[in-house]
Amino acid sequence: MLLEIAERLETFVVERNLEARSEGLLALRPCVIKLLGQTALLEAKVPLTLAATKDVDVYADYEFAVEQEFRRLLATKGRELDSLGSEVWMPAETTYQPLFVGHYVRLLIADVESVLVSKGLKAARKNRPLLTEYLARGPSERFLKLAQEYRLDLEQFL
Amino acid sequence: MSRQVSALVERAQARYAKLQRQRRDPRYRRVLGRFVAAGLLSTNDETVPQRGAIRLADALWAGEVEPRILELLPALLIKKPSFFEDRTALPDDLARVVRALRRGEVPAEFRGIPGADLARWLPRLGRSGAAPSRLRCFRFSAEESRLLSQLSRELDTTEVAVLRRALRELGAALLQDRGQAKPA
Repeated sequence: MLLEIAERLETFVVERNLEARSEGLLALRPCVIKLLGQTALLEAKVPLTLAATKDVDVYADYEFAVEQEFRRLLATKGRELDSLGSEVWMPAETTYQPLFVGHYVRLLIADVESVLVSKGLKAARKNRPLLTEYLARGPSERFLKLAQEYRLDLEQFL
Repeated sequence: MSRQVSALVERAQARYAKLQRQRRDPRYRRVLGRFVAAGLLSTNDETVPQRGAIRLADALWAGEVEPRILELLPALLIKKPSFFEDRTALPDDLARVVRALRRGEVPAEFRGIPGADLARWLPRLGRSGAAPSRLRCFRFSAEESRLLSQLSRELDTTEVAVLRRALRELGAALLQDRGQAKPA
């Protein structure tokens, strides 16, 4: 779903910039949108049982017009851009994989291990079933390393 | 895999087996199906969309399996009461949360869900979708007023939207400076 939205957002920026150039106005800057939270896990198609509210958390450096269009496109799919998304804590080691790379819009997804460490540290109770399932399926070395680094108490999920 | 990690995985598997049993329970399937059908939750779990009212006791039980159900529950009781068959006899902790939300307060934690997470759903559910806003009056100098109008034109939005955005961005910047972060 987010891939389709990113494609439509790219089209929006291309069209706006063509208009802006023909009218001698400033063009919209290229932007990077990084998906976080449950949305990142769903888009990454991780083999975990996931339930998500309609909120979409992102880090993004887009301009206001692009944000508004992104918000509108999400709403057409019953999703909502979380205005507090920029406040989500993520480990410094987080890596982002491209989901869509356009000329103006790049949509990236945060790596699974970092998202899970973020969830375990900042909202342990709410994400307890998710972390339990992840641990039961065999945690990766990277997850264990991050959990140790950030002192995530794994006992609380057992 | 080290012995310590193996033991951890083994214990997680025992707990996960219980979780899987709970996820197969008809109460959970019905509640999740209803939340998905209403567009409140999306999931990669197999669900059969459900229509009609659900039992509050089932929702509370299912909320222990998927805590996001508990997160939405108090606001749903206020904004979409017909979602539930029986909404008169609320457990004490839920009744306290609902009372606080009705008064426009941020409630205390509810079964592990922070009060702020519960409160943010109230303006976002129901037909209007409008946030319960409050009238606040401020005086601006002529220069500030001109700046506000200019920003409103530049951003092609209303003046109140400019103020709200500025407030949000300032709040976010200050919270980040203080190392406070939004839960995942």
